[in-house]
Amino acid sequence: MNKNTIRSITVVAALFCLIWLLGLGWAVGEYYAGQPEKVPTTKLVNEKIENKKGITIVALGDSLTRGTGDETGKGYVGVLMDEIKEKTKRPVQLTNLGINGQRSDQLRKQVQQTEVGRQIKKADLVLVTIGGNDLFRGGQGLEDFATEDIAAIEKDYLDNLKFIFDQIRKNNSNANVFFIGLYNPFIELDQGKEMSKVVRHWNYDSAEISAAYPKIVFVPTFDLFELKVNDYLYSDKFHPNSKGYRLIAERVASLLTW
Amino acid sequence: MNRLIQNEMMKLIAKKRLVVIALIIGVLVILFTYAQYKQVETQREKLGTSDWRTTLQQQIVDTTNRLSSSRISDEWKKQLQISLQQQQYYLDHDINPSEPGAPTFIRIFLESSIDLFIPLMVMVIASDLVSSEHSLGSIKLLLTRPVKRWKVLLSKYITLCLAISLIIAIAGVLSYLISGVVFGYKGWGAPILTGFNVTDTGLNTSEVKLLSQWKFLLMDFGLVWFVAIVVGTLSFMLSVLIRSTAAGMGVMLAALISGAILNNMVSSWESAKYFFMVNLRLTDYMKGTAPPIEGMNLSFSMMVLIIWWIAALVVSFIAFTKKDVY
Repeated sequence: MNKNTIRSITVVAALFCLIWLLGLGWAVGEYYAGQPEKVPTTKLVNEKIENKKGITIVALGDSLTRGTGDETGKGYVGVLMDEIKEKTKRPVQLTNLGINGQRSDQLRKQVQQTEVGRQIKKADLVLVTIGGNDLFRGGQGLEDFATEDIAAIEKDYLDNLKFIFDQIRKNNSNANVFFIGLYNPFIELDQGKEMSKVVRHWNYDSAEISAAYPKIVFVPTFDLFELKVNDYLYSDKFHPNSKGYRLIAERVASLLTW
Repeated sequence: MNRLIQNEMMKLIAKKRLVVIALIIGVLVILFTYAQYKQVETQREKLGTSDWRTTLQQQIVDTTNRLSSSRISDEWKKQLQISLQQQQYYLDHDINPSEPGAPTFIRIFLESSIDLFIPLMVMVIASDLVSSEHSLGSIKLLLTRPVKRWKVLLSKYITLCLAISLIIAIAGVLSYLISGVVFGYKGWGAPILTGFNVTDTGLNTSEVKLLSQWKFLLMDFGLVWFVAIVVGTLSFMLSVLIRSTAAGMGVMLAALISGAILNNMVSSWESAKYFFMVNLRLTDYMKGTAPPIEGMNLSFSMMVLIIWWIAALVVSFIAFTKKDVY
């Protein structure tokens, strides 16, 4: 064994030992130091839109957008995407921003985020489902739908909806926006009839608001679930199942134009 | 003293342990590189884009959805919430948390190997530094020389520290060279955020600092080195105390693995935080993830490790100088 090799290895090792020691000291120092460098907060959103080859879809909303209840996990958004892929033979990029249990006030906050805004800006197609959780509130809606509270809730919801549409249109004046209406999952229950009335009312007002904006299309789903609602509902008796999602997707697909 | 260290160094190199370690690290880095490459690839396919902002936004939404599930434990919920806030912070400041490139790979590699893999590599060298002299019988030759016993042991210990430094360096260089083939060699200057404070109410971002990746990496290396030294010292002590190398290694291995397991379930057992093995993940403090037990922070963990380190050193020197050798 050459003595010089050993010596040089020792020296190299000692050198690294010093470097790591330095790093360690620095780490501890940095961890407890104040805040010397300020994080840049005024970064603007990247304006440059990447050159796209395919179609960009942005889906916003609640568990329906997420696809809760669909055994295949796709939801109507996934089914619709497959259909578009097949029809147009172009690559489709989907950004699904749906959040389970999201209400309109939460979506209102979400669309204000810069990155969400940027996603909307890039989109060719925007899909929105919202309002179900505002109205039904996990079943609580069944009990107080007849009271006066519901009017106040609806007013807030419509305000939020307006705001959301404003925000979408502000970011992207070109894309087609499809707003999926509400259905009544409780139609076969005792108060189903009265509940349907409230749902229809909400749908009507939502459609009115949609109509005030260019290229925002209200897509009714109420009729899809009107007969034999249980065939199309998941076992929680609230979310659609695969068949139910397929119905919604087909309806939206028939509205698409290229 | 110098001569003694040279002598120990020669023994170490003659054993070719470092070469074996380098080979192991090399093979593992290749595996990790491929795994990560696959992961990036599938993600790109799934989302149809390589834009990191879209990916991050999608991750945020996915995490939010997992949070809304009622079936997850409070512990896990908190972890998720913290990582969610962190991701959102990165996104809001337009900083890519994992800029593609070899330096990012090194960072991830270091962070995930600090508590098990690197200590294991260190053990390969440390655990038979003294006990092998017993089993080979060469300890008598060594001790009959006109040198004080503590000097003999000190030379061995210094050699161990040097070897550990080399192992860390080897890990860094190999992971840079190998992963760079796939991810590219750039990215030293990429910005990275540190200083996230995990509090009871969630993530405190008021003290967040922006660092260049190379600075952050140097700090990570320092922390990994420190952990490696402590683990090395502990198995060095075992090597002095226990004549059988295998037994010493077994004890150390059990301790390390129990640490990895304990980390996931000690949150309700508070005094477990004084074990050295739950304090090994020092790099997590830099990154800002929730500690395994409430109230742990960098200085606490380092204090615990230093105490263990000192104790191990004292025990090994006393034991070695007092020991009867026959």
